Amino acid sequence: MSLQTELKSERVSHLAVSGFSRVSVGTSIRNTLAQMQADGQVVCLVTDDKQVGPPSETAQLVGIFTERDVMRKVIDVPGMLDKPVDEVMTPHPITVGPDASAADALRLMDENHFRNLPIVDTSGRLLGNMTHQAIIQYLADRYPVEVLNRPSDPERFPHKAEGG
Amino acid sequence: MSTGATNDVPLTRKDFISDQTVRWCPGCGDYAILAQMQRALPEIGVPKERTVFISGIGCSSRFPYYMNTYGIHSIHGRAPTLATGLAIANPDLSIWVITGDGDGLSIGGNHLLHAIRRNVNLKIILFNNRIYGLTKGQYSPTSRTGAVTKSSPMGVMEQPLNPIAVAMAAEATFVARSIDSHPQHLAATLKQASDHLGTAFVEIYQNCVIFNPTEWTELSDRKNRDDSILYLEHGKHMIFGKNQDKGIRLNGFTPEVVSLDDVDLDDILVHDATSKPLASILGSMEFPDYPAAMGVIRDVRKPDYAAELISQVRTAQEERGVGDLNQLYLAADLWTVHTRKEVECASARERRDGEAAISVRRLDASSQASVMPITGLDEEYIDDLDKPEEKISDFQDLLVTDTVSALEPNIPITMSEHSSLARTIRQMNRHNIGCVLVTDEEDRLVGIFTEWDALMRVVGVVDDLAQQTVADYMTPEPLALKADLPIAQALNLMSVHGFRHLPLVDDNNHPIGIISFRDVVGYLNDVLEKE
Ligand code: SF4
Repeated sequence: MSLQTELKSERVSHLAVSGFSRVSVGTSIRNTLAQMQADGQVVCLVTDDKQVGPPSETAQLVGIFTERDVMRKVIDVPGMLDKPVDEVMTPHPITVGPDASAADALRLMDENHFRNLPIVDTSGRLLGNMTHQAIIQYLADRYPVEVLNRPSDPERFPHKAEGG
Repeated sequence: MSTGATNDVPLTRKDFISDQTVRWCPGCGDYAILAQMQRALPEIGVPKERTVFISGIGCSSRFPYYMNTYGIHSIHGRAPTLATGLAIANPDLSIWVITGDGDGLSIGGNHLLHAIRRNVNLKIILFNNRIYGLTKGQYSPTSRTGAVTKSSPMGVMEQPLNPIAVAMAAEATFVARSIDSHPQHLAATLKQASDHLGTAFVEIYQNCVIFNPTEWTELSDRKNRDDSILYLEHGKHMIFGKNQDKGIRLNGFTPEVVSLDDVDLDDILVHDATSKPLASILGSMEFPDYPAAMGVIRDVRKPDYAAELISQVRTAQEERGVGDLNQLYLAADLWTVHTRKEVECASARERRDGEAAISVRRLDASSQASVMPITGLDEEYIDDLDKPEEKISDFQDLLVTDTVSALEPNIPITMSEHSSLARTIRQMNRHNIGCVLVTDEEDRLVGIFTEWDALMRVVGVVDDLAQQTVADYMTPEPLALKADLPIAQALNLMSVHGFRHLPLVDDNNHPIGIISFRDVVGYLNDVLEKE
């Protein structure tokens, strides 16, 4: 059984995908970062909500802003914090639907060197963010005996299978 | 390791790992449970000096050794008893009882019942692998009828106990179930149990890879588990299945599995963790006739035993003053026993006679044993049982045989711990990398600084990057791997902790490489495609 065949039969919506932060277009980079820090998320999806307040279900995704952008465009560039996030986000990111296979999603990411692939359904709802971590988690869950059931300290491992 | 008060310093998983060598068989489900406990406890936030693990006897009962908290490896089946005493003597402690199907339900069955019934503030975690592992494979009180084991070569004749039903019969105020192979669910369930005041009883389906490796396969198989498990959430409809297309409906008193295509959502049961009848129904739903109910089955608040007892003691003391134990001894009905020579002589004579009688009996027994024919021990059969069932795919094989060095780790970029943040970030951007390893004067690994640290702790917080050193913002003492460990170990650390990068070090703790999520996934993908 190859990993490819396995992943072909899994839909991305069945993976333990990562979460994300969300801000409206026009939000300052300072506030965007504060949101990401509060959520503990390294990815922020930017939507075109017009109204203030909680995000509407159907606001359209217009951009993605990640830790990578923080490193390359914000952290050591003076005067960036008060600019709107639109200036540094990647506009119109490629997305996949919840029914895409995990294999297709992974291929798309590897071909484009993406670390993140937002999952969006047909009505525009943001469902999650696919990353390589979802595959790692999948493998761990799929092969618990080999992967999960290992000692906390890899240096100390019993070599005999004799119980307790 | 420091044992000082840790109230303000956030705890990490490392704080809970003891220095003991873990003695479970390679691949045992206990490892996954241990890892999740060590992950959940820092999040629960109770200082380790207020946390105690108490166990009885069995494989699972070695748990306290591996937790860097207080612990007692106690007497067979008696962990709930010791724990009850401790909870009363020191109600501030967070007490976890670790037991198994044999220790908890056979040897200590009644201790378990009474601890639960009293609603002592304990978290009782019962590892259910449906076999005696430590004593090498005899059937346990939860083994299925018909199960062939070393002590039931023609199949178990007894009916298994259902731990959830046992807990319900003892009026448990919190009952939950989880499984070793589903780490997120397990960690969440442990946290919910820890929040409960009173006895929290959690059954964990645990894989004994040596003596009962196929017991839970249908529930642990990642591909099908969502069709076999009903994840419970209070207030939510009982819907399950990979496509969320099946539900549980009540037909009279009997639950039934229905397809959502045929049945209205209104007819589907809604989980109510406060309902006792519902909890009993959920507990009685046995896989494979029904999906296995996982999550919090029952959660109600009742007075906790220690608090009640302490308040009774206080009332008594207020009314009648603090008592004196000596006075109590001397209070009434006192006899004095006098020593008498004749009595001593008589008893000595009796003792001698007694001993002689016993030795006579012993002789009899041994002479009988030597002539007794050995029957019923089929050597071949026993050898067969000793061999665990081997059904391993190439992929599984590769996870444990290929080492992390096969991933061709990248040469790590290292920074001195005195480097400024400005320089560190410039380096990361120049090399287009997501993390650097931080080293001391002797090039030993002392920390890791990643984009995550930059985003969470630096940007928008630190004004002058040139004035700050990386050592103050890095993650100190990161977990690092030796290059000769199997890929499965890297996957384990990455999945349990979500680490995106893992440093590799040599025996002197000098960094020699770094691997990422992407390297691991990419490698497994490539290698397997070639086959
Ligand atoms: S005998 Fe079974 S339960 Fe005991 S350590 Fe080995 S695998 Fe685990």
